[in-house]
Amino acid sequence: MVPVGNRPVLEHVVEALADAGIDELVFVVGYRRERIQTYFGDGGDWDVDIEYVVQEKQLGTGHALLQAEDAVTDEFLVVNGDSIVDASLVSALVSADAPAVAVTRSDQPTDYGVVNVEGGSIVGVEEKPRVYDAETETINAGVYAFDEAVFDEIHARLPGGETSLTDAVVSLSQGRSVDAVRVEGWTDVSHLWDILRVNSEVVETHDEGRADVHPTAHVADGVALGEDTTVGPNATVLPGTALGDNVTVGAGAVVANSVLFTDVRVGENAVVRDSVVAEDARLGPDTTVEGGRADVVVEGELYEGVRLGGVVGDYSDVSGGACLEPGAVLGNDVRVGTGTVVDGRVGSGAEVRR
Amino acid sequence: MCGIVGYAGDEDALPVLVDGLRRLEYRGYDSAGVCLRTEPLTVYKKAGEVGELASVVPESSDSTCGLGHTRWSTHGEPTDENAHPHLGCDARYAVVHNGIIENYDELRDELEETGHAFESQTDTEVVPHLLEEADGGLVERLSSVVERLEGSYAVACTSAETDEVVVARQDSPLVVGRGEDANYLGSDVTAFVEHTRRVSYLHDGDVARITSGGVEVWNDGARVERDVETVDWDVEAAEKGGYEHYMLKEIHEQPRSLRKTISERTDETEGEALIDVSQDVLTQSRRVEFVACGTSYHAALYARRLFEEHADMPATAEYASEYDGPHDPENTLVVAVTQSGETADTLSATRRAAREGATTLAVTNTVGSTAARETDEVVYIRAGPEIGVAATKTFASQVVTLALVAVAAGRVRDTLPAAEASSILSDLKRVPGAVQKILDNEDAVEDAAAEYGYDDAFFFIGRRLGVSVALEGALKLKEVSYDHAEGFPAGELKHGPLALVTPNTPVLAVLTDGTRPEETLNNVKEVESRGAPVVAVTSTDTDEAKRLADAAFTVPSLGEMEPLLANVYLQLFAYHVARLKDRPIDKPRNLAKSVTVE
Repeated sequence: MVPVGNRPVLEHVVEALADAGIDELVFVVGYRRERIQTYFGDGGDWDVDIEYVVQEKQLGTGHALLQAEDAVTDEFLVVNGDSIVDASLVSALVSADAPAVAVTRSDQPTDYGVVNVEGGSIVGVEEKPRVYDAETETINAGVYAFDEAVFDEIHARLPGGETSLTDAVVSLSQGRSVDAVRVEGWTDVSHLWDILRVNSEVVETHDEGRADVHPTAHVADGVALGEDTTVGPNATVLPGTALGDNVTVGAGAVVANSVLFTDVRVGENAVVRDSVVAEDARLGPDTTVEGGRADVVVEGELYEGVRLGGVVGDYSDVSGGACLEPGAVLGNDVRVGTGTVVDGRVGSGAEVRR
Repeated sequence: MCGIVGYAGDEDALPVLVDGLRRLEYRGYDSAGVCLRTEPLTVYKKAGEVGELASVVPESSDSTCGLGHTRWSTHGEPTDENAHPHLGCDARYAVVHNGIIENYDELRDELEETGHAFESQTDTEVVPHLLEEADGGLVERLSSVVERLEGSYAVACTSAETDEVVVARQDSPLVVGRGEDANYLGSDVTAFVEHTRRVSYLHDGDVARITSGGVEVWNDGARVERDVETVDWDVEAAEKGGYEHYMLKEIHEQPRSLRKTISERTDETEGEALIDVSQDVLTQSRRVEFVACGTSYHAALYARRLFEEHADMPATAEYASEYDGPHDPENTLVVAVTQSGETADTLSATRRAAREGATTLAVTNTVGSTAARETDEVVYIRAGPEIGVAATKTFASQVVTLALVAVAAGRVRDTLPAAEASSILSDLKRVPGAVQKILDNEDAVEDAAAEYGYDDAFFFIGRRLGVSVALEGALKLKEVSYDHAEGFPAGELKHGPLALVTPNTPVLAVLTDGTRPEETLNNVKEVESRGAPVVAVTSTDTDEAKRLADAAFTVPSLGEMEPLLANVYLQLFAYHVARLKDRPIDKPRNLAKSVTVE
């Protein structure tokens, strides 16, 4: 679960739903659902009831929704768990008549499902169009109000293999009117640089609470510190940074504009800028992630000049004196040898040596 | 975490309240109490589990309104006095509370100056006294009192005058249940779900009055309506947060509970373990004797090695029921390892040691338990409530806590250099993340359980720290799957147990750091040549083990904590074998969570 401001994106979503008065949630979970279950439990901490249904095979978002068929009745909302929504957005959909889809404007419509709207109704959705008409830069915000009719549409499409929610919306719109509800308050965090940007917006003041900051260390305002985070002598933590629970920043290290997940360890005199470091990863002494802008390729798409110093996956181990070039992306459980310079992408489980 | 219940209706309130407390017992069980609306108020409260309370209350009462509380104390002793409900000076108001009142000191000083007398050490007790000072009906009084409170709270109160329960919440959960001619209150719906499934969740800042006739809610002085929902789930499943069994839930909670165990107890910079045990006790003792039962005994076996190594003192671990008293009482530290703090055998061994003059230390999960109260020193493992009868997360927290005590002892005895201590502490801080990495590999363990789980018997082997894990792995499998499973020191195999090894008896071998894996590999070869399948848990860099084993699981590199990580694989193995066989995993036949008889 990716944290923004030291709280999982999904928690931001749950809070928005709770604030909008929704207190019965069904989570459709799949691979590695245990972390979600352990974190959210039955929802008591958020004053909601959470029921879990499992999608055993990843056959698209439509198929995912189908798993919840027995858990819901009448009208219900469907929300993606991986982008941040405001309570006001949720409320707008609650007051809409199902079926309805939240739509919003984006200056990067080619990343999303572009929605064609006529007279307030959806007439088509095009996923990640190569080219688009500047006047239709309205995109699907991934929040829907449905009634049980949506399940019939999905069932009808199932024999075709994977089926997405957008497919279901398009089919629904052929038989009846699907309202397009224009909304604000939608924040996409699907790219890692989005996480850094949104995180830096969310972390404003730090509450040292139960963190252990050495008297000679400097922790700037605009930093979030998790429980039992340790910041060693003469270390510096600069704005835009969130250090998760049980993170250790070694003596003399510098961490700036970065998101460090739970259990991360940063060695002495390491420099970590503009980076996302995932759970239990270790950066050895004198590791340098210089930060800045880079061209990054994600799933075949080139994103130019994004601010992303480096990404280190879960459990990866970067030995002392290694350097990550701007935009370097390490998968999970990667080993990087002492003094190695890493550029570009390194797949999960790989070992990189000088 | 504490649990609150309340009732206002047309039936006897007492059984409703006590049943509700039993349902909420997972939220805490070290003291409990109820208050019945009578004139004056009637209060029953008792340190201990809800069962203790149930044994002192009458079978029935004439009251149709009251409230109750079950407490899981993290600060302050769970004595009768500290148990909720709390009364004011003249038993006109009774209060139960979940949360923390941060400005309680200042409120208490102020109340004491005006003549209020306090009986407990709790923060809660200021509330009934403040209610006495306030004016108006109970709703007006509580509304004005909560304006003075800082912190988080769910409070419920009742007065001697009228049949009503009045509540307020801020950052702690409270749910109202709506029945026919009766209304209910709970920290969660499990408290009353057997009576009604129609509920309203209160919001922060709400003050509500519950009477037999209805529920009224105010927020910021204005009447508000809270939606009525219908809950539709199985009471037990709701508490498991999506998991099929408590055991699996608790296995997966280990990264979180271990972070709590080490919280604020490591200073890597200085190489110090910050454990609250008297330095004199650690420096003056010449030997350590651990007494424990079951899983706690296995944690003690692990710990005794760490004590010998770090603190350079002879250390033994004995089954509490076999303990014959300390050898050299004046110079012996006797360490009682007991999750519940109520294990009768362990208490009896510890009492004997104390009687003979030894210094005693309890390592327990339960604040204010008998073990914690009766020993000279106590260290808490902070694993949180464990409901599954097969102990999982508490074993991990026991080992890590005992490792911290061993480091603290090594430092004050000057047998462990600061640099080495710092490196051990760094390993301890890495345990939670390393456990998570193993949990991420659960699918592979499930496959191994399916492949080997139906064989005739199971043998677990290891050396040194691996012995305790082998014994614990075998115990887990016995407890939940009812299979014949035995743990041995690997070297003992050839002295007898090897006769039992056949192609239908899988051998689970612990081959990590801290277990002399190169020697155990010889035993692996012995059993393989008899055709037994081998499931190995190894360090990251031991290729030979991986080559020899039929199935191999690796643990992250973590020195002497690696056997503890290996144990997580064995927990998952036991769970999945039992699940395949459809065993009642959370309530194994004949077993109970805390064994309070000798």
